[in-house]
Amino acid sequence: MRLAGRLGGAALSLVMVAVLGFFLFRVVPGDPVVSMTRGRPTTAAMQAELRAQFGLDRPLLSQFWGYFTSLLQGDLGTSFTFRRPVADVILERLGPTLLLVGTSTLIAVGLGLWLGVRAAWRRDSAFDKATTGVALTLWAVPTFWLGMLLMMVTGDLFPSRGMRDTDTAPDFVSQALDVGHHLVLPSITLVAVVCAEYMLVMRSSLLEEMHAPYLTTARAKGLRDDLVRRRHAVPNAVLPAITLVFLRFGLVVAGAITTETVFSWPGLGLLFYDALTGPDYFLLQGLLVCTAGAVVVMNLLAELLYGVLDPRVKVV
Amino acid sequence: MRVKACALLAIATTLGVATPQVQAQGPVILKVAIVQQIDSMNPFLAVFQSSTEVGRLMYDYLTAYAADDQRVTEGVANRWEPSADKLTWTFTVPEGKKWSDGKPITAQDVAFTYNLMLTDEVARTANGSFVTNFESVAATDDKTVVIKTKAPQVTMLALDIPIVPKHVWEKVTNIKDYANDQMPVVGSGPFVLTEHVAGQFIKLKTNKNYWRGAAKYDELHFVYFQNSDAAVQALGKGEVDLVNRMAPAQFDSLDGKAGVTRNKAQGRRFTELLINPGAQTKAGVPIGDGNPALKDVRVRRAIAQAVDLDALVQRVNLGYAEKGAGLVPPVFGKWHWQPGAGELRKFDPAAANAALDAAGYPRKDGTRFTLRLTGRAGRAYDEQASEYLKRSMSEVGIGLDVRLVSDNQLNEVTTAATYDLAFSGWATNVDPDFILGLHTCAQRPGADGKGGTTDSYFCDETYDQLYARQLSEFDEGKRVEIVKQMQARFYDQVPAVVLAYENALEGYRSDHFARFTTQPAQGGVIMAQNGMWGYYGAEPAGRVAQASSKGPWLAIGGMVLVAAVVIGVVVVRRRQATAGERE
Amino acid sequence: MSRFNAARGLSRASGGISTFLSHRAGVAGAAILVVAALVAVIAPLLIPADALDVTRVTAAPWQAPGVEYWLGTDHTGRSVALLVVQGAGTSLFVGLTAALLAVGIGTLVGIVSGHFGGLVAGALLRVTDFFLVLPALVLAIALSTVLPRGLGTIVLAIGLTSWPSTARMVRAQTLTIEARPFVERARALGGGHGHVIGRHVLPSVVPLVLVNATLAVATAIVAESTLAFLGLGDPTRISWGAMLHQAQLHGAVPQRAWWFLLPPGVAIVVVVLAFTLVGRALEAVVTPKR
Repeated sequence: MRLAGRLGGAALSLVMVAVLGFFLFRVVPGDPVVSMTRGRPTTAAMQAELRAQFGLDRPLLSQFWGYFTSLLQGDLGTSFTFRRPVADVILERLGPTLLLVGTSTLIAVGLGLWLGVRAAWRRDSAFDKATTGVALTLWAVPTFWLGMLLMMVTGDLFPSRGMRDTDTAPDFVSQALDVGHHLVLPSITLVAVVCAEYMLVMRSSLLEEMHAPYLTTARAKGLRDDLVRRRHAVPNAVLPAITLVFLRFGLVVAGAITTETVFSWPGLGLLFYDALTGPDYFLLQGLLVCTAGAVVVMNLLAELLYGVLDPRVKVV
Repeated sequence: MRVKACALLAIATTLGVATPQVQAQGPVILKVAIVQQIDSMNPFLAVFQSSTEVGRLMYDYLTAYAADDQRVTEGVANRWEPSADKLTWTFTVPEGKKWSDGKPITAQDVAFTYNLMLTDEVARTANGSFVTNFESVAATDDKTVVIKTKAPQVTMLALDIPIVPKHVWEKVTNIKDYANDQMPVVGSGPFVLTEHVAGQFIKLKTNKNYWRGAAKYDELHFVYFQNSDAAVQALGKGEVDLVNRMAPAQFDSLDGKAGVTRNKAQGRRFTELLINPGAQTKAGVPIGDGNPALKDVRVRRAIAQAVDLDALVQRVNLGYAEKGAGLVPPVFGKWHWQPGAGELRKFDPAAANAALDAAGYPRKDGTRFTLRLTGRAGRAYDEQASEYLKRSMSEVGIGLDVRLVSDNQLNEVTTAATYDLAFSGWATNVDPDFILGLHTCAQRPGADGKGGTTDSYFCDETYDQLYARQLSEFDEGKRVEIVKQMQARFYDQVPAVVLAYENALEGYRSDHFARFTTQPAQGGVIMAQNGMWGYYGAEPAGRVAQASSKGPWLAIGGMVLVAAVVIGVVVVRRRQATAGERE
Repeated sequence: MSRFNAARGLSRASGGISTFLSHRAGVAGAAILVVAALVAVIAPLLIPADALDVTRVTAAPWQAPGVEYWLGTDHTGRSVALLVVQGAGTSLFVGLTAALLAVGIGTLVGIVSGHFGGLVAGALLRVTDFFLVLPALVLAIALSTVLPRGLGTIVLAIGLTSWPSTARMVRAQTLTIEARPFVERARALGGGHGHVIGRHVLPSVVPLVLVNATLAVATAIVAESTLAFLGLGDPTRISWGAMLHQAQLHGAVPQRAWWFLLPPGVAIVVVVLAFTLVGRALEAVVTPKR
């Protein structure tokens, strides 16, 4: 029953997202047809034809109903910019984003949590001060600025854009190396900023936990520090950190917008940025619904995981 | 065990890295940076400038514009003849031209393309404006196309419509959903589309069957960049060979850079300052909320007189522009108009002040009235020029409320006429018909506020009469005269001040490609031509292997990565071991 | 029980200042903030209007740092040093107000939805979840596009989109605390909502809220710069983000004009870092070591 309630709640969130997405992006001023045809010979009849093609000539409520019913069938509409189904366009760009965000998140989570645990356990040690200082500084760095800086500093070492060169040999090894080469700067950028946050949260969470009486008990039992940490303190302290990691998932995807913009990484973030300048309504809605869908699922997982890891929590 | 596996991987990686260096003699590739997305590869639907540019490489038009002086020259057709009443045009498609798949190009293909547009509304999406005046199109044999028009039309040799192969497109049942991505895409142009990854790149190969002869290199790649800044960087590094639409400062940054040659060309674009002359719909109903003072032509003239065009060109365009005058940029020499001595409005704040006083707008506390100036946020020109205009206007007692908004908000403001002053700009074509037609009464929106293409809301009887006359004037000399009169009228009535004709700033790797064909020959552009000459005429510098410098860095990167993994694994294993001992 | 708590609170407060002062990093952060605030307030009075008017400057554009312009000049010939000083006010103002808005909403919603069950919690949770699933930057961009340009819009866009994470964290902590035996004991002994929230929940979420508030100011300043960088800021105002937007727009990276790229970014980092350090020192004050 609880699970069903959770699923229902998640579904409701998605519906609200779909509704808001539609109206929010329809409020964005500007006639997309005017933007599309700007600067080329266009007659009024051609503009009307374009409007009819995209259903923009229908009343808003009728447009909404059409959008909503086809959304239920998995049809996200047709992109103005690419003249193709939005779902196809998004799927096409999913890979690069998953690669960038996946790599960066994995590194950031691993590195962040590990550093956080170590720093907290040896509070005020040189290691703690150094890592905390670095993390705090990195945390303060705007993603796009770091990207621009890295580009300026590394000069010709790494490519300044995109995911692969067009003239790389077609064999797998060359292609993979080429992608890896392009991945270095964007992923460093993303890791640096995100990792710092994970580290800080893990650290403060563990520090909180270390004051708990049961740790004193555990130590009194004669357990070694290392074991106390791994068996008792860390599992409890990891809870807020895990929640954050899952919650951060959606934000990381969105945060990838700036990184992808600076490095022209051909993923969803770049697509979003492009769609906004159109404005490409259906594409924007589709992106919002998909990103939000992913975060809803992640949230659900976080809730469930929280319950499993900490039985003390009442599931409300 | 794991450590060993890692070591093996390291060796494999290093070996893999070494391979790109070995294959030195690859195809010769011209890599071009583009910043705009491709909306469609279907030439009937594609409306973006980038798509049109690629389309020109894939498909010839019925006629073309010569590289050196932009005169009309051979395209798919090599001869044309209007009837005495100018209502019937006969085009001849010579034998011997072939599609990229080897099939002959005939008059049937031309008739098929035009008739598709005449019968299918969707096929008119991109280029419908060219055929609205067509009565009928027929191929009388494989060599002859006869086009009948409803009224005489001077632009019959400027039909910018890609001619598609009938044998491919007659099988297409639904134009709207046809992506035209059956690679390689059969075409008639100098290049054949072979691969398109949205948001990443477009690859084209040289068309060996091209009737002018194949281009002098093997492949043409268009690579996406998010902004011109990244593109300029990539040019500096040699990642791309050709970049256009640079900002003046970016252009300056490439000065003296080894291996890079810059091309400062006369552009097809101009920037203008719209002055809302009292916008109305087609029916003459006022719309928008423009300041009523601007309906007074004396006020508009005074504003134009108070703008220091030279200072704008020097400080905002950094000198990479020519001072604005008529609607047609100087690159289209014969159509371009400059005011004569009697017509010229010299920059003169004192005269402007006097004119405003005389027009009945006295200063109150130093200010006569306040106007809104709308521009696009993020467009460098608008952000800077608005500062200068603010200062110029304050000197004649006009307050400026600068509003920099997003692209779509700016479109909204100009289509709803809710502006006083606004920045705008247009790219012009070889034939001036379009840019002149924009400012006729008929281009104003309908009763619902939609369907207009003008953004100047100019409606002037004299101008409209001249427009109609030039449209049916087949004597070019006489037509040029009329076109100039129209520009003079526009200048005199000032619904907009043409601020500057921007230079097209391009750069290319002269160590990869020695020469490009510009259009026109003197001071012309390489990209965004009225043709495909820039790409087609590129000559490689006879240099090999572009990837060589990358190998060592890849190897170092790979090794660092592998080392990190190895160290990580070792540390983890040691920790596990000691933990076991402790427990 | 309550007398003991009160006594502890009193000693905590009196010891607070000295505890804070013992955190050198926190003191340094506070000092930086005081300087930054002074600069933000005084600078506009000291800088002559002509110095930052692009139509009146006389220096050459893209000048490298030198004696006269010790941080060089930008693409219009304005002094980068003066721009950075001038930009402090905008960045600080947006950061502070947006963070206050976000943390205020977040704490309120978090505690209420964590503590109370039933419809209120359900509805609040729904709203939180809903705002949480909307990627903050995406929504902030959409809002800044829809609303008229200006500082208010940016504050609103950042404040309205960055509170849910605070709410979620506070709610999670509230749930954890309330599941602990001593809270259940307090309830069993007849402690009302006010007692439980005031005595148990609030003290336990304060450190979290403080950490969050710190991060929120930081996030807000960074978010402002990101919006400005994407060209969505108030283009008529100088802020650090707007400077970076200009730097990118006019090609500072390919020109290697580090003097235009570095100072505004460093200013952001230093101020954000200062906020963080102060917040952490405060955190130490609230939760003393045992």
